[in-house]
Amino acid sequence: MSKFAIALLITVFGLSACGDKEGVVVYKQGSYSGKTDGKPWENAAFAGDKSKWDNSIRARGQNQNESKRIGD
Amino acid sequence: MARMKFLCDSERCIECNGCVTACKNENEVPWGVNRRRVVTLGDGLPGEKSVSVACMHCSDAPCMAVCPVDCFYHTDEGVVLHDKDMCIGCGYCFYACPFGAPQYPQSGAFGQRGKMDKCTFCAGGPEVDHSEEEFKKYGRNRLAEGKLPLCAEMCSTKALLGGDGDVVSDIFRDRALKRGKGGEMWGWGSAYGKPEPGTKKPEVKS
Amino acid sequence: MKQLKSNSWLWACLLAACALVLASAHAADAPAPPAQIQAQAQKPGVTPAHNAEATWREVRAGTPGVTTVRGTETGVLVSPDGNTWRQIRHGPVTFYGSLLVILVIVAIALFHSRKGMLRLSEKPTGRTLVRFSNWERSVHWLVAISFVCLALTGGNMLLGKYVLMPVIGHTLFSWLAGMGKFIHNFLGVVFSVGAVLMLATFYKDNIWHPSDAEWIRKAGGLVSREHVPSRRFNFGEKIWFWLGVGLFGLVMIASGLSLLFPNLYETRHAMQTAEVIHSIAATLIFCMSLGHIYLGTIGVEGAYQSIRTGSVDETWAKEHHQLWYDEQVQKKLGKGA
Repeated sequence: MSKFAIALLITVFGLSACGDKEGVVVYKQGSYSGKTDGKPWENAAFAGDKSKWDNSIRARGQNQNESKRIGD
Repeated sequence: MARMKFLCDSERCIECNGCVTACKNENEVPWGVNRRRVVTLGDGLPGEKSVSVACMHCSDAPCMAVCPVDCFYHTDEGVVLHDKDMCIGCGYCFYACPFGAPQYPQSGAFGQRGKMDKCTFCAGGPEVDHSEEEFKKYGRNRLAEGKLPLCAEMCSTKALLGGDGDVVSDIFRDRALKRGKGGEMWGWGSAYGKPEPGTKKPEVKS
Repeated sequence: MKQLKSNSWLWACLLAACALVLASAHAADAPAPPAQIQAQAQKPGVTPAHNAEATWREVRAGTPGVTTVRGTETGVLVSPDGNTWRQIRHGPVTFYGSLLVILVIVAIALFHSRKGMLRLSEKPTGRTLVRFSNWERSVHWLVAISFVCLALTGGNMLLGKYVLMPVIGHTLFSWLAGMGKFIHNFLGVVFSVGAVLMLATFYKDNIWHPSDAEWIRKAGGLVSREHVPSRRFNFGEKIWFWLGVGLFGLVMIASGLSLLFPNLYETRHAMQTAEVIHSIAATLIFCMSLGHIYLGTIGVEGAYQSIRTGSVDETWAKEHHQLWYDEQVQKKLGKGA
């Protein structure tokens, strides 16, 4: 009886973790249906090369990190 | 996928208003509109803090929720943009926004609101990238040039950080760790702050 | 219609409300620096222990700082009332407002299907009495036409997103809403002038008269179809006049005018409050106007002709406004003699 109760408690406790919500941000979209905006890499500068654009943005982002850029 | 964010380090901002000027110059914003502003808290007193603020590109954006014509959208990079051709200048996004980001150039006989203007994270708007139209309505599209917003990129003390949220938070976390513990740590003032003048120490019963 | 999403929103509302109360309590000494910083300033020579929580708590409550950017409230870093406004407008105002309008329309439809048009019980005599002068009719239609346009364009601002936009699409809707806003702004001024003229023109005949007591007792004979003698305007019309045009009309005008001039350096809080008052008053005045329009068109035979042409048949006058009819006859006799 007590073993069963403990097992039940553990199961319930363990299952309660399934109710945990993911902490990932979900962007709430309005119902916009105006002009479509192109992707930032779909233009002459990047010619649709997304990884090139990603690298450029990442490099620019790291430029703001002066402890890496000029050292500590 | 990058999620674009701004972060302003109030320990570093020196209220030079460089970001404000850079934004105006880069985007040639309409007269009377300031997409970015610097607010100083406790100005002139010890411990004053300055923060540069613009559109924060919210995930659950109030402007988007209240817009009666639904002219707002999120780009895949998490930037909140709007279509000025659809905007009717009702002012609801201005009422709803906590940061005072949406602003209106005055137009018409009675100073009515024109089309709303706000920070675009230097990502232009729903027009052909780098077109005359886009620049006139929304300003420079630096994101499509593989660059970050000018306000953040040119910040002299690197107080204002912009870009992918992960990168920005990494930079800031590093910085906070290097500064070590102290006044800027959350909860420090409450836990170890000096008692207010005039308050008595609790008497210890022997 | 956006419902409250979770408890956290409720808490946010409560907190914002508390913050508002606090902010208004401290409004008098708003330019003074926050208490924490003041306390630090009182101890010269001591390095201030920067209290991040205290600073951010002030920011969250909407305490203004200093900025070089000119304008109203540019020093406020985070304004907490926007979310409160959003919750109120997109919650109860939209939901209960549209519910009320639907209920009133259904009630009128039911009433009409049960009772039908109130017809004259006797034959028209062919002799007419002047009920409304040209001036009175002009004022009425100035207010009526501008009101209907305002109601349609204003209702579109509140509900068009849910009703019209899914039908006609975003592009056409935004164009329509833009035109609507323009019309609303300009006709609002026309309505304001018209409503004031209307109050000045009709107030004399809308003053309380002892015969109104009987009208109230018999509920105007609306259900019993009994003819309750009344003077020029019965008590129902008087309610519409004082409550609809007088109270709600003036509330609409006052809140509307403050929204019309965004460059008057009003705070956001003032505009949010004005917007909510404007929407609530608009919903109520619109519901009342539905009753007025119903009784003035298909509800009562001859009512529309009276405001359209200005004259009514003597039978109509006798059946609907007997005391007024008697007065008119007395006047005519007096003149004739």
